[in-house]
Amino acid sequence: MASTTPSMFTNPVLKWVDARFPLTGMIKEHLTEYYTPKNFNFWYYFGSLALLVLVLQIVTGIFLTMNYKPDAAYAFGSVEYIMRDVDYGWLIRYMHSTGASMFFIVVYLHMCRGLMYGSYRKPRELLWIFGMLIYLCLMAEAFFGYLLPWGQMSFWGAQVIVNIFSAVPFIGPDLAVWIRGDYSIGDATLNRFFAFHVIALPLVLLGLVAAHILALHEVGSNNPDGIDIKKNKDPKTGIPLDGIAFHPYYTVKDIVGVVVFLMIFTAIVFFMPEMGGYFLEYNNFVPADPLKTPAHIAPVWYFTPYYSILRAIPPLFGSQFPGVIGMGGATLIFFALPWLDRGAVRSIRYRGNLYKSFFAMFIVCFIVLGYLGVKSTDVWGQFGDWSVILDTKERATWVARVMTIGYFAFFFLMPWYTKADKTKPEPARVTMH
Amino acid sequence: MTTKFKALFSVLLLLVTVQAAFASGGPEVKFVGVTADRTDIASLQRGARLFVNHCLNCHSAQYMRYNRLLDLNLTEEQIKQNLMFTTDKIGDTMKVALNSKDAKEWFGAAPPDLSVMARSYTAAAISGSSDSPSAVLAAYLRGFYQDDSRETGWNNLVSPNIGMPHVLNELSGTNKLVETVYIADGKEMKTDHDAEAKAKGAFIASQTMSAFEHHVDKKDGKVENKYIVRTLVNVVPGSMTPVQYDVAIADLVNFMGYVAEPNKAKRIQIGILMMFLLLFLLGAAIWLKKEFWKDIH
Repeated sequence: MASTTPSMFTNPVLKWVDARFPLTGMIKEHLTEYYTPKNFNFWYYFGSLALLVLVLQIVTGIFLTMNYKPDAAYAFGSVEYIMRDVDYGWLIRYMHSTGASMFFIVVYLHMCRGLMYGSYRKPRELLWIFGMLIYLCLMAEAFFGYLLPWGQMSFWGAQVIVNIFSAVPFIGPDLAVWIRGDYSIGDATLNRFFAFHVIALPLVLLGLVAAHILALHEVGSNNPDGIDIKKNKDPKTGIPLDGIAFHPYYTVKDIVGVVVFLMIFTAIVFFMPEMGGYFLEYNNFVPADPLKTPAHIAPVWYFTPYYSILRAIPPLFGSQFPGVIGMGGATLIFFALPWLDRGAVRSIRYRGNLYKSFFAMFIVCFIVLGYLGVKSTDVWGQFGDWSVILDTKERATWVARVMTIGYFAFFFLMPWYTKADKTKPEPARVTMH
Repeated sequence: MTTKFKALFSVLLLLVTVQAAFASGGPEVKFVGVTADRTDIASLQRGARLFVNHCLNCHSAQYMRYNRLLDLNLTEEQIKQNLMFTTDKIGDTMKVALNSKDAKEWFGAAPPDLSVMARSYTAAAISGSSDSPSAVLAAYLRGFYQDDSRETGWNNLVSPNIGMPHVLNELSGTNKLVETVYIADGKEMKTDHDAEAKAKGAFIASQTMSAFEHHVDKKDGKVENKYIVRTLVNVVPGSMTPVQYDVAIADLVNFMGYVAEPNKAKRIQIGILMMFLLLFLLGAAIWLKKEFWKDIH
């Protein structure tokens, strides 16, 4: 590239660099000559926002590690030290804890966009797979990071999640010991989780993000109409008629999104860092105590839809393994999406009522499961003594079961309903709303 | 606002009654009392004095440094003379000499560190339905009553059978528990519904700390519903009147809230500035976007 692309710079230093490194080539390929559909809407802010949060997490994380001590005897105290004695340590810590939750909000909205506009479909299957790997990686990153403050919820949450692995038949208990490095969550666990959280997973995450962006720029962005802008190119320049350069158009537009996001982020960090106990759980202000089990253990909100599925699936021959399969399946099934969807159009705008109903059902199921996962299973009371179906009297468990079926129906029935759906004709050119 | 109005307003703010229903199944506790304002420096100073005199003998606040109290408009000299009893280094944290092994033997559990206690206490408020965490903590501190069946001689309405004795006894005086059980008797209270209504009525009308509990007894296949109302009645007056004591507890809880997050006031101040800055940036960003997008249709 360095040899084929003439340098865009007049500055001699940059010219010197350009002769030895594809600087101009990269800027053109990924920014000034990367043509993006001009009809991006609200939902298209979340990609760049996810990148912003990733950078925020890495930078605040670096500063946190300067004072944090990954030692069961000192971890809780070192976090309080950061909160009180380190200059603006409280700000860095709140940014990091808020950033974790905001990362998931942004990523969930980003994924929802992909679902709505069929962004996972050919030729973007690999792009979607990289995205899903990022999501899995992010969940692991959040899980490992949550142990580090060494509060009651850190400890018992990790205990519950690691115990999930002990439900695996035959090798389960040994597997759990192998993960913890001890018979219960302890200093060894904290040390290895720290290593995973601060170096192993961030490296993988960065690599996957780079692959995600490269794959995107290879095939080009989808858009709210789900049509291919490369079909209508200017015959002279070869530039898509509905495409505009990413820079400056979308860089300046994304700045607006960034500022709005920062306003929400700032409001949380400075005015309600606990976010009502959802971003920072109140029980986590109590140091971890292996001898005192909290009355109600709930994972952080971003895991709760899956946690609900785990709780909803009844045990088989006394083993919780079916629930574990259900929970794992609920996350992994997203990978199959590009091959499950057989619709004639990509975007929800031109799909029929059948698809729209299933999509709405999926969103409702996801949110209700998420809500139920935060609450204890008797949140909606119990059926009378007469109800003994599968040993469960709680109403909420039954709602969670119905919602779990709804969740999976969205995926398993997709080949049928996307094909049977009465779609509308797609426009030839993108529409600006 | 005139001073008269201000005084009236602050009294209204002080006289709040918070009701919290604890997680389903447990008793419902009525918190009668007052709360104090985090920006009220005098209240925080009074709370600090109560804290170091009464709490800091068994409980530590090991992440809180004495010189942090400069925040409360106190001088180093004032802190050293009035608030420091266990150390003479102003930069030290609030530690206690009590050995946790001994404490476990004496109280059944080591007294927890109080550095972030007020923040964790919100958990009780969340699992119930109260909107005021400080009210829950205050209710706990007001919930002590004499109980000779306990080793310490004290029990608590909010946290039954807790190991902590009533350390503020000298100030509050001694309370006793009065328990009234309402059961349908076929006469005055014909049905369970009548018994419940009567019990609830007594619970709501009570002017002191009280709790309501629905208890189901299963005997020989028969189900008996009991509606229990527990109230605290003062039997020995303390050095403070009940109102003075309520204010003292509010001050103490206020101080514990401050200790749990000393940077809170600064945090909110910077936050407001940040919001203005971002609002300005938003205007600039929108203008920039519009300028660039003029030719896109």
